[in-house]
Amino acid sequence: MADSTATETADSTVETPADRPLGLPRWAAAVLPLVLLGVLAAAFVATSPLAALDAGGAALPDVTVSHATLPGEETLVLHVTNNGPDAVTISQVLVDDAYWNFAVEGAGGDATLGPGQSAQVVVPYHWNPGWDLGTALVLSDGTTIHHTIVAPAASPGLTGGLLWTLALVGLFVGVIPVALGMLWFPFMRSMRRSSLNAVLAFSTGVLAFLAVDAGVEALELAEAMPGLYEGPILVVVGVAGSLLLVQSISAWRRGRAAAGDERAESGLWVAWLVAVGIGLHNLAEGLAIGSSFALGRVSLGAFLVLGFMIHNVTEGPAVVAPLADDERPPLRQFVGLGLVAGAPVILGGWLGSLAFTPTLGAFFLAVGVGAILQVVWELRGMIVTEAGVSARAILAFLVGLVVMYATDLLVAL
Amino acid sequence: MAGGAVVPSHDYGTAGRLTDRLESRLASALGGEDGGGGVSRRAVLGGIGVAGGATVAGLGGRANARGAGGDDGDDHDHESTHGNFGAVGEYADADFDPHAFLRQFNTGRDGQASVDQRVYEEDGRTVREFDLVAVDTTITIAPGVEFQAWAYNGQVPGPTLRAVEGDLIRVNFQNAGRHAHTIHPHLRNLNPRMDGVPTNGPGVLDQGESFTYEWLAQPAGVHLYHCHSLPLKEHIHRGLYGMLVVDPDPERVRENPRAYTAADAPVSNAYRDELVERAKTRNHEYDENDAVDELVMVMNGFDTNFDGDNEVYAVNTRAFAYGVGETDGKGDWAPGETKRPVQVDGQRPLRVYLVNAIEFDPINSFHTHSQFFDYYDHGTTLSPTLKTVDTVMQCQAQRGILELDYSTHDPGLYMFHAHQSEFAELGWMSFFEVV
Repeated sequence: MADSTATETADSTVETPADRPLGLPRWAAAVLPLVLLGVLAAAFVATSPLAALDAGGAALPDVTVSHATLPGEETLVLHVTNNGPDAVTISQVLVDDAYWNFAVEGAGGDATLGPGQSAQVVVPYHWNPGWDLGTALVLSDGTTIHHTIVAPAASPGLTGGLLWTLALVGLFVGVIPVALGMLWFPFMRSMRRSSLNAVLAFSTGVLAFLAVDAGVEALELAEAMPGLYEGPILVVVGVAGSLLLVQSISAWRRGRAAAGDERAESGLWVAWLVAVGIGLHNLAEGLAIGSSFALGRVSLGAFLVLGFMIHNVTEGPAVVAPLADDERPPLRQFVGLGLVAGAPVILGGWLGSLAFTPTLGAFFLAVGVGAILQVVWELRGMIVTEAGVSARAILAFLVGLVVMYATDLLVAL
Repeated sequence: MAGGAVVPSHDYGTAGRLTDRLESRLASALGGEDGGGGVSRRAVLGGIGVAGGATVAGLGGRANARGAGGDDGDDHDHESTHGNFGAVGEYADADFDPHAFLRQFNTGRDGQASVDQRVYEEDGRTVREFDLVAVDTTITIAPGVEFQAWAYNGQVPGPTLRAVEGDLIRVNFQNAGRHAHTIHPHLRNLNPRMDGVPTNGPGVLDQGESFTYEWLAQPAGVHLYHCHSLPLKEHIHRGLYGMLVVDPDPERVRENPRAYTAADAPVSNAYRDELVERAKTRNHEYDENDAVDELVMVMNGFDTNFDGDNEVYAVNTRAFAYGVGETDGKGDWAPGETKRPVQVDGQRPLRVYLVNAIEFDPINSFHTHSQFFDYYDHGTTLSPTLKTVDTVMQCQAQRGILELDYSTHDPGLYMFHAHQSEFAELGWMSFFEVV
């Protein structure tokens, strides 16, 4: 026995190719490529072997004015980003073909923007509401960066009153409709299994619509993003990233369930995932409301708020449908679900009015899409039975899509 | 008629004091958190100009200080301003001084140090010889905005050449630029080889080639020389143009006065004597000319983004160079280091030699505020072709002489600019400061 143990021990330390790749310890083998890359980079910098390629070429300036804000009737602010690899200097500013006073803020005290740097160009200008303004930044080499401010309207600016208004709006368009929708829960519990399946399919349709809607919107916003951020790619990465993140949480939950954790098995998990997905979507919705409001682009009349309420009331049943089969969870769970799903509208509204950028908007929308897509996948698991998907469920899914489309027409911002 | 830099005496002390005052007003305006009541709108107006200027000049601390206030929504009311048009910041590039250029005439005898020139007699004729070289260079056309120019002797406009009617102008031209260039004079030349066009004489001159142009200085007037290589639009608008002034010869005027009148009618002896006297005030070799303050103004423009439209308009290249340094828009102004009005002595007659070297726009114009002037189209007559006007229009390559009298005007600022408002707001905006 002693011998064989010794043999085993000896075996385990025999230098097999798998244990000692290239004859190195495993950690050394892991970092070897990185070390070589570092050495190569250092040698490259030190000897510049490709000097012949450096023909003194310079990249063209690539500057984006992502958007403009109008904090007062005598000020306009252009939000500008340098996407290029070289610094650019904003030497002059044109407003409607006239050189105009301006100050560059947020570029470290001068008018030069380093690669990737963003700044605000503040122009004292008495603009006219509704009369388009053609602006242009004139860079030091004479390049002009044009941005048209279509139908200028005052941005209300950030005040306590605005925050309160947006909180109220968020309450009405987010929290209350979701809460109302969740009141279908007792009715759903009284349903037969097949009817409940249809409700789940309806919820899935609702979510699928939101995913498409938000995805399209994210890509639209991506067009206004500074080129530096590669808008469409950011959207794709945002969607995939959040999908995979939520999927990994879900996989972890399944692992827990398989290991015998009962709580992990319940529909409550799915409900929370739905709530998180819808919450992210509502955050983006809030961003849109807040930024439209802040940019003076919308009047949040009663009709629009009502439209949002009708639109969002369908999100309530989507959240609670996964619970209908289970034991009724405690009330605080419902409160939590409702807040997670609905309250982000308020947060988004504040964020949107405070610091809206197309980049932020597109990113949040994309994250929401990913989360929702994962939930759609999750719900599919609950709808598909041994007999496949029922005709009723498919139709209910379609109804979910159509209802959302129809109510979406009410809330064009 | 000495050339060289004649910079008018300037009270920069006053300018500095005003700037300090505006800055301190701005600082106090920003200092108070609740600020509203005590801060006059006027103080802030002035301050923003300062803040804007400081930003570009790299002294942006103040601009940022303003930003701190601007971010707070409540501050906007008393910070409000209509703003002012004009270029922000001063010119940092001292290669070209448009203020000196106004009074720089190269006569062969004297002129700019950067222009090799000589004058001598040959076959009973005065020859004025100049060396011009076309180069590729970078010029500054608005504060902080550079332009890849092609330029005679490295300056845009090129050196102003001045001769007397009947002289021979000999130009030793060398092309040191990468493209082929010529010099085409708007003169009545009798030898087609000297016309400076691709089809005649040496044609276009490639890099490193040279040619000596010989032009007859006739007729008397204000004329233009420019490169005639193709594409013409580009060769001109890149900067290859300059002014030719041909002074009338009083003796020729005495012999044939009728040729120097716009009316083309018989000339009385008394009127003839008057025309001769006028010719003397136009001729730099006569003492009578010294009494007149003569200014060179070349109206030009620059397309910086290749869209076939000018982004910058000016007289003598630099946008707003004859404007004010800063103003609060409420009647207060201060001259800047490089942006300042053209100072003129109200008691001296004022003569402007005006050439339109604009490209892309068919016409340009010159408009004076609170002033009417006599205009001599092409400067080829000694009687005005337009009398008592305050606006004159010139098509591309058209030119003329303006005679202005500020002797009864109160001292102060008198605006002049293109009355195409677009050109004015894009840089062709200037002032005479009558002192």
